[in-house]
Amino acid sequence: MNVIECNRLTKAYGGAKALNNLSFKLEENKIIGLIGRNGAGKTTLLKIIAGFMKETSGEIQVLAEKPFNNLTVSANVIFIHDQMNLPTALNLKEILQAAARFYENWDDELANRLFDYFSFNSSQHYQGLSKGMKSTFHMILGLSARCSLTLFDEPTTGMDAAVRKDFYRALLKDYIAHPRTIIISSHHLNEIEDLLEDILLIKDGKEYLHLPVADLKEWAIGLQGKTAVVDEWTQNQEVIFTKSIGIDQSYVVVRNHFSEADWQTARTAGVVLTPVTSSDLCVYLTSKTTGGIDDVFN
Amino acid sequence: MMSLTKVRLTDVVKKQYAYKLKAYIQVFTTLIALQLLAIFFSLNGVGSMGSSSESLEMDVHYYSADIVVFFTMLWSFIIAILITTKAYRNDDFVFVTNRVSSNLSNALFLLTASVIGGVTAIMSSYLMKVIMYFFVDAQYLNGTSIMAAPMEWLLGIFSTTCYVFLLGALGYWVGTLIQINKAFALLLPALFFGAFIVEGTGTAKLVSTVYDFIFTESSILLFIVKIIVIAGLLFSSSMVFSNRMEVKQ
Amino acid sequence: MILNLDGTKPIYLQISEWLEREILNGNFESDQKIYSQYQLAEIFNINPATAAKGLNILADENILYKKRGLGMFVASTAKEMILDKRKNQTLKRLVTEIVLEAERLKVSKQELIEMIKAADIGEVEQ
Repeated sequence: MNVIECNRLTKAYGGAKALNNLSFKLEENKIIGLIGRNGAGKTTLLKIIAGFMKETSGEIQVLAEKPFNNLTVSANVIFIHDQMNLPTALNLKEILQAAARFYENWDDELANRLFDYFSFNSSQHYQGLSKGMKSTFHMILGLSARCSLTLFDEPTTGMDAAVRKDFYRALLKDYIAHPRTIIISSHHLNEIEDLLEDILLIKDGKEYLHLPVADLKEWAIGLQGKTAVVDEWTQNQEVIFTKSIGIDQSYVVVRNHFSEADWQTARTAGVVLTPVTSSDLCVYLTSKTTGGIDDVFN
Repeated sequence: MMSLTKVRLTDVVKKQYAYKLKAYIQVFTTLIALQLLAIFFSLNGVGSMGSSSESLEMDVHYYSADIVVFFTMLWSFIIAILITTKAYRNDDFVFVTNRVSSNLSNALFLLTASVIGGVTAIMSSYLMKVIMYFFVDAQYLNGTSIMAAPMEWLLGIFSTTCYVFLLGALGYWVGTLIQINKAFALLLPALFFGAFIVEGTGTAKLVSTVYDFIFTESSILLFIVKIIVIAGLLFSSSMVFSNRMEVKQ
Repeated sequence: MILNLDGTKPIYLQISEWLEREILNGNFESDQKIYSQYQLAEIFNINPATAAKGLNILADENILYKKRGLGMFVASTAKEMILDKRKNQTLKRLVTEIVLEAERLKVSKQELIEMIKAADIGEVEQ
C-alpha cells in the first residue's frame, strides 16, 4: 500500500510556485529522506501532507484520504517541525499528558524514559527551553505518538552532536520495534543516510530523484584525469558536476551508465573512477549550474 | 501496516475542550483581575440621592454589579478574539484536529468561560456588600439575595451568562474575519462607530433597533431563543469562513 | 567494528564484507544462524532494509542459505567460497591496479615481483 500518492501536486503562494507538478508515491513502513535545498518546497510538501495547507492544484492522497481538514489524517499523522506551537500554560509533563490523550497509539513509557534520559524535569515550561532542547522535546512527541505516518521537518535543529546521535539511534530502535512510515527532511544527509531506505530529492518544487538510498551511491560516478581524456569519456553522458583541478586535469560527475568493462578501459586510459558520496551528489544535483559556486568566479 | 486509528468528531471535540480548559487557564486570571477592578470602580455607587431636614439627613446610594457585568462582557469579547489568533489556532494543530473540531471546541470553551464569567459577575455583588460593610459607613444594606429571591437571583446569573456568551460569539466572529483578512481590523470598528454616528444624525435607527432587540426583551423564553439563534449564526458563519484557512507558522 | 562511513563504499557491501570476515574468523560455524537484518540494523545503526541487502548478497552467492521463517544460516562451504571469491575478485582487482600503477611509474615486472617478495618477508617478520 502507498502511504502517500501525489499527482501533479502544485502549491502557489501568490505567483511563486513552491511545489510545481510534483508526482510521486511513497510505500508504507519505510524511513524516507526528503532532501532538497532551502526553498525547494520540502516544508510546503510536509504541511500539505499533514493537512495544514491545501494544494492549489493536482491531487494528493495520504493514507488513502485527502489530507486537508481530515480528522483521520490528523489522528494518524504527526508533524514535527521547529515552529511548533506548544501551550505556554502547561508544563512539559502536562504537554506529554495532553498528547497522550490525543494519540491512540501513544507510548507513555517511552515518552517518560526519553524525558528522563534527556534530563527534562516536569516543572519546566516549553518557552523556557533552548532551541536544541525544544527540538529534543519535539522528538519525544514525534516518537512516542507512534503515528502511522511521522513527519520530521529538520528535527535536529539546534541539537548538539551527541543528542543528534541519540536521536537517530532512538528513531531507528523504535522503528525496528514498531515499523511505520517516517519521513525526515534534513540538510545533514550524511548524518541520516544510513537510517534511510529511500530518498526523495526535490528541486524547485519538482521530484528530481526517488530511489533506494543504496542505489544512490551507484547512481553517479566521478571521473578524474586529463581534461582531454575525461572529456572524451564524458561526452554524450549526463554531466552532473564539473570542476577543473590544477593544470589540464578535471573532475566530472556523470550518471553511471558504465559497465564493468568500461571501467577497466577507463582505468587503463588513466581515468580515476571514484564513487560519489550521497551528500555530495545531492548538492551537485540540486545546484543550479554544473559548476556550483565556482561558476560565479569564472 | 499499522492499523489506522479511527476517530469520531465528538471524541476529538471533547478532548480538545478538556485540553483548552487547561491550556487557556490564563484567561481566567485576567477575568479575576478585571472583575476586581470593576468592583473597585463600583464602590462609588452607580447612583445616589439624599434628603435632609434639620434633625435628619438621609443618603441613599445605589450599588450594582453593572460595571462588573460590563467588564465581563468586554473580557469575553476580547478572549474570543484572542483564541482566533494564529498562536492559539495553531496550538490546536499540534495535536489531532480539523477546523470543525477546533471551532466547536472553541465555542464550548467560550460557553464555559461565559458561565464562569456570568456567575462570578453576579457573585461580585456580595463581595461588594462585604467590602461596604467593613469600609463604608452604611447603616443599612439591602439587595437581592439567593435567600430573599432565589428565582430573581438565578435569572440574573442566567441572563448575564447569555450576554457574556453573546459578546464572546461576536468576538469570535470578528476575530475570525480579521484572521481571514486584516482589513477587517479597520473595517469592523469603522462600521461599528459609523453606525453610532449615523444614529446620532438621526437618519437611521440601527443601533437602537439592535439594542432593543437584544437588551430589552421581557420574555425570558424569547430572550433565550434570540441569544441561541444569534450566537449560533455567528459561530456557524465563523466556521464556514475558517474552514478553508491554512495553518501558517 | 565501526563501518567506514566516509561514504565511498555502499553500506550494504560493507555489511556483507563484515559478515564474511565474521565467518572467516570462525565466529559463525557451518549451519549456524547468522544475524538477522534487525540485529545488524541495531549493531550498525542502519536501516534494516540496507542490512537485508547485505545479507541477500551473501545469500545470492550461496554463502548463506535461507530457512523459511527462521532466518539465514551459514552454508557448509561458506569459508571456501569466501576465500575463493576474495582470491578471484578482490585480489585480482588489486593486482590489476598494482600492475597499472607500476606501468605508470615505469617499474618493470621483475622489479614488481621483487617488491612483492620483499613485502611478503616484511609481513612474516611482523
